[in-house]
Amino acid sequence: MPKYAMVIDLQRCVGCGACSIACRNENNVSEGIYWSSKITETSGTFPNVRFHYLPTLCNHCSNPPCVTGCPTKAMHKLDNGITMHDPKKCIGCRYCMYNCPYEVIYFNWQDPHKFWKDDRPVINGGTSSPKEIAKKVNNGNGTPYSNPARAKTLPENRPKGVVEKCTFCDHRLKAGEIPFCVVACPADARIFGDLDKPDSKVSRLLGKFKPYRRKERLGTQPNVYYIRSYNPASYARTKGGI
Amino acid sequence: MKAIKIQLWYGLLLLGILLGLLTAYRVLISSGFVLYAKTDILVWTMPIAAYVFFSLTSSGLAFVSSIPVVFNIKRYQPLEKRIVFLEIAVLVAAFTCLFLHLGSPQKLYYYIFSPNFASPLWWLGILYGLYLIILLLSFRKIQAGKVSRGLGIFAFIVAIATSTSLGWLFGLPDARPVLDANFLSMYFPLTGFASALAAVLMFSLAYHHFAQIVLSEGDKNLYDDLSKLFGFVMALTLVFFLWRTIVGGVSATAVEFAGFRHMLGSGWYHLALWVGLVIPIVLIAMPSVRTATWGKITAAVLFLVGMFAGRMEMVLTSLVMPTGPKAEGQPPFVSYWPTIWEVFVFVSALAVLLLIYTLGERHLKLAESTE
Repeated sequence: MPKYAMVIDLQRCVGCGACSIACRNENNVSEGIYWSSKITETSGTFPNVRFHYLPTLCNHCSNPPCVTGCPTKAMHKLDNGITMHDPKKCIGCRYCMYNCPYEVIYFNWQDPHKFWKDDRPVINGGTSSPKEIAKKVNNGNGTPYSNPARAKTLPENRPKGVVEKCTFCDHRLKAGEIPFCVVACPADARIFGDLDKPDSKVSRLLGKFKPYRRKERLGTQPNVYYIRSYNPASYARTKGGI
Repeated sequence: MKAIKIQLWYGLLLLGILLGLLTAYRVLISSGFVLYAKTDILVWTMPIAAYVFFSLTSSGLAFVSSIPVVFNIKRYQPLEKRIVFLEIAVLVAAFTCLFLHLGSPQKLYYYIFSPNFASPLWWLGILYGLYLIILLLSFRKIQAGKVSRGLGIFAFIVAIATSTSLGWLFGLPDARPVLDANFLSMYFPLTGFASALAAVLMFSLAYHHFAQIVLSEGDKNLYDDLSKLFGFVMALTLVFFLWRTIVGGVSATAVEFAGFRHMLGSGWYHLALWVGLVIPIVLIAMPSVRTATWGKITAAVLFLVGMFAGRMEMVLTSLVMPTGPKAEGQPPFVSYWPTIWEVFVFVSALAVLLLIYTLGERHLKLAESTE
């Protein structure tokens, strides 16, 4: 069985957000939910300031607190290392969200894609309603741009009252394809592969560069690794002074 | 006149239950959980705090009930029937809050078909289910005129398990370092016991007042003893409460210290400390107030109000500091004020409790002494 992992090369990442947009399209992610997100920070004080950007997603931890806490095994581990959620078993207690130290699990507070269920025309007497467009293009299934491939392993659109999160595009992996955020990254900053294969790209990168993972001290053993750091700034060599 | 008052009372309680049903319809079927003041940061709010409040009070009532049944202190025997019935009513109120908190309560059968033995939440659900069954069996026995010591001991053990498991539930997450399982597993049973003593005083004395029954000398002494015990347990609660504050402020990590800062600045904390602990302790410490019916009821009501605020503060303190990607564009602490729908959850749970209790008091002769 493979052990899937992702390496994010922060020297290559330009913070364009293409990964997040690709994720939304591929997985029919609803408004207010972010399977793929980011942490931005500004350090220093003006004029000596710097902007930092860290792409985030579910870490698919080897020791996941969300799985330990889930009372009905709706949140569970697959043999290939993916932390998966099953909306059929989810009772909506949100204890996984409470337990996740990375804040990458989201809850469907209301029906998904509310906008596309609105039967009021955008312009009265001038345009059709969002509901009519969704009905015409995609038989009313979520949005007009809904991706039916997502339905291979999860409901195409997850219902109200359950949690959801990144699945490493498990439906694509089943079809022999890599996650769509990796495909969409214009800078090839995301590298995906099997950690059990010593010659895989991810294994090689982790051997070549010192990786780090978020909140490693907690012992959750994330399978999303970060390498390098982008910083084009330079400074004149100095020993400082008092 | 009395009949009109009773009908009015039932009308009020039914209105409370209707509000709960309306909330269930709006939240679970039509609009969704956007009606609650929940966000991706505040994933647990007033309904879960109310659940903790009611469920721990119910577990605490098992401790009070164990005084005559398990520890053989027969002086408390006259209270047994009312306490066991109250345990059931309070537990049903807790389940009402839980039902209105869950996103998909219709799938609860997966507790049986897909159990996760590693999850404190699974254990809690199973233990509270078991607890309800034991209580129903106990009450059936009491109704037949007997007290089952075996069931009493079983209920006592399950109540210890439920209240400490709740500590495990809140203490497990490394994601929430402001909570600590070791502390909560002691604090929860203790505060549950204190809440239960307050509830017993309040409900028993209110019954005597509304039924216009003059307390016998024996009953008066019993309630005086109970209020002394209540005062002692409140004082112990205050000690734990202050230690939590001191530990948070003196020897915590940066994240814990941030939680501590929020806790000190929150109105819920001060309500719990001053209204819920300091004032009732002072009241109970005064013999003239302690021995008066109004003094006991006032102290009990204030303690319960403060305890509810304490549950709110505890749930919120663990969540108000956004971290990770969800902290984007957020202040260091998010603020919270319940929506009217969340208030309806509490109101409906209280209405369910009071309706069950009123029906029991009127039709099941809860004042009857058992053997």
